[in-house]
Amino acid sequence: MPVPTIADPPPSAGPKPQGQPSQKTMTKAERRELQEKQRAAKAALKQQPPQGQSKQQQGGNAGASGQQKAKVPPTPQKKSFGAEVSASKQHASASKDGGASGAAAEELTGKQLSHGLRIFSHFGQPKPVGHTIKGDIHPATIRLGLLFSEFKICGANARCIAMLTAFKQVIQDYTTPSHSTISRHLMTHLSPQITHLVSARPMSVTMGNAIRELKLEISGIDIDMIEQDAKKKLYDYINTYIQDRITTADKVIQELAGKKVKDGDVILTYARSSVVEKILLSAHSEGKKFSVMVVDSKPLLEGKELLKSLTNGPNPIPCTYALLPALPSLLPEVTTVFVGAHALYSNGAVYSRAGTAMVAMMAKANSVPVVVCCETYKFSDGVMVDGFSKNELVPLSIIQKNSTDRGLAPALHLETLNPLYDLTPPTYITAVVTEVGLIPPSSISSIPLALGKTSL
Amino acid sequence: MGLSAPFDIYAAFNRILNNDQISTPLAAILALTELIENSDAGTMFELVKALNDGAEALQKQASNPISLNAGCELFIAFVTLFPHDSANFTDLKKELIRQGQNYATEALTYRKKIAELAFGFIKDGSILTHSYSRVVMQTLLLAHKHKRISVFVTEARPRGLGIKTAEALTAAGVPSTVILDSAVAYVMDKVDFVLVGSEAVVESGGLVNAVGSNQIAIIARAANKPFYALAESYKFHRLFPLSQYDLPSHNSKILSFPRPLLAERVSLIETPPHDSTQATNDASTPTSDKPDLVPPRITQEQISENNPDVDYTRPDLISLVFSDVGSLTPEGVSQYLVGMFAG
Repeated sequence: MPVPTIADPPPSAGPKPQGQPSQKTMTKAERRELQEKQRAAKAALKQQPPQGQSKQQQGGNAGASGQQKAKVPPTPQKKSFGAEVSASKQHASASKDGGASGAAAEELTGKQLSHGLRIFSHFGQPKPVGHTIKGDIHPATIRLGLLFSEFKICGANARCIAMLTAFKQVIQDYTTPSHSTISRHLMTHLSPQITHLVSARPMSVTMGNAIRELKLEISGIDIDMIEQDAKKKLYDYINTYIQDRITTADKVIQELAGKKVKDGDVILTYARSSVVEKILLSAHSEGKKFSVMVVDSKPLLEGKELLKSLTNGPNPIPCTYALLPALPSLLPEVTTVFVGAHALYSNGAVYSRAGTAMVAMMAKANSVPVVVCCETYKFSDGVMVDGFSKNELVPLSIIQKNSTDRGLAPALHLETLNPLYDLTPPTYITAVVTEVGLIPPSSISSIPLALGKTSL
Repeated sequence: MGLSAPFDIYAAFNRILNNDQISTPLAAILALTELIENSDAGTMFELVKALNDGAEALQKQASNPISLNAGCELFIAFVTLFPHDSANFTDLKKELIRQGQNYATEALTYRKKIAELAFGFIKDGSILTHSYSRVVMQTLLLAHKHKRISVFVTEARPRGLGIKTAEALTAAGVPSTVILDSAVAYVMDKVDFVLVGSEAVVESGGLVNAVGSNQIAIIARAANKPFYALAESYKFHRLFPLSQYDLPSHNSKILSFPRPLLAERVSLIETPPHDSTQATNDASTPTSDKPDLVPPRITQEQISENNPDVDYTRPDLISLVFSDVGSLTPEGVSQYLVGMFAG
């Protein structure tokens, strides 16, 4: 089946200077310089019409293109910041006599801005929705990429299941080229699919783990195996993986965590986790009398969805909905906090929706037990000590879609920072509920070994 | 359970428990081996079912299910995981019984091992201990042979087992004093460390022990004194209490407010001044229009009924757990437990 591909536009967008030889003969530095120039010119063109401060802008741009040797921020929006900052700096240094306090203040804000950007630039700016498609990408992957980048599929579990399901289709439609074998070639076919998904939204730990396992399975296929059988084997493998590591694991977690829900309890949860939702619903269906406090926060306001599903139906769970600032007033009433997780690191730290760390910290201060519900396939071998080294930003389009008011419009001196995750240190967590039982966060690292995994 | 008529597991359990050296989990294991002996199960499935039923029957009748559970769980896990390739099921049953009894005999040597481990941490000075524990006794007696120790022991109400400890220690020549449970904070600065036994060591690395252990641990932490727990490995229990009230021993009676016999009677408020407490005063508004009612007497039985037998000590308050598998930190305990049961 021919896979539709959208050809990438040729990279040389601007007209080539006359005297230049072909790009191939240029040195690396030369090529970069050329690129920088082109980009700067483009940005300057874009910015000129709306803003009436073209003089400063241009000066800034010239400064920027001269200065920025290492990394050019990818979007024009960012560029304007960089330009502005350097411009204001130049301005300040020019009027060095220090008479104008306004200039000093300007410099301060400029510094803060540049500081903020420098710290968080590594989070990566979310791509625009209709990002380009490179190479041989299956339609299922393209569809999934769109769903990911629009946050239609958002949770760690949902993304992993969706990815594996798409890969099943990819594998089904795949034919091994005549000169190669499936165990060697399939992965080179899957890699661009993975790259495409990652370009839509950074890969989750769950997806990474699943891909690693899948790769191992693919490389283990006997080269003499008939292609159809091999595909069938992979198909079954993916099904078993979803079944064992996610679906059944969730059921066991439901059962284990359900035991910790007692009559008269007040359960607090933050944002929305599919596992916590299942736990609460199943405990409720068992006839336990408890109430739930759903704490939520901007920008995604996922708790609303949870609230809907908990209060849905003829027999709703008594719920309270509150935003994060109300947390301290709610906590004295709470008996247990249940939260989900995006990933769990081997030092016991929980990487979860931004705000979870605050909930856990406050619960600890109120000596309310904090229970994290997490399948073992979310475990990561790495160690994380803060939420800055790795994170993701919520795209502006998603924020705007979620908020009724326009909120903070993107102003020149103001950029909203919306990290998607944060890291809860193990000291704030009482227990982690996994499908192998309740474990304290300090023993997380021994789980893979206990499960018979000998190497990391 | 079909077997209960010919074989009463609870009677067997109590008979075994009469032996002074045998602790609850071991007695449970031995009772279960007797159950195997008396069982007519023909397959592994039936046998495990019979064992589970027996364990359940035991738990229903026993007053304190936690340590009992630890023993039952250990033995049932052992039976389930036992490689049963022998063709003859009767042989297998015999083997299981033999293994169970061997384990129990071997387990009796654990206390000596633990005493030797803990001995390394004992220096001349004072020790605070709580209630009565066989393994603590053995450790203290061993320490007395080589060191000059003195022991403060809490009274450990409501059962008052601390008195038993003090008597035994005094008889052995160890200087010992019984202190009130409420005097722990008073005595804490005088002791070098706290040494307690255990009912069960749980998966969080925490400790379930006679009520009062938790407050001793908290006071010890506040005074920066080490808090050591001694536990035989058969007391390691796959349980994760999130709070005091999450223990299986917790029931609605514990900490309940006694209901006055007459609905209109204002209880407790007219109690004689010597035991009228602050708490009762603000619990109900003083309505002194019923002075003719007899003030209710609070008996010791009532008090102990409304109070827990055991409490849960958080892992972060415990310095070390000495067990026959080594001196473990609380994290080490939980890792050991995860390794034992997970997977």
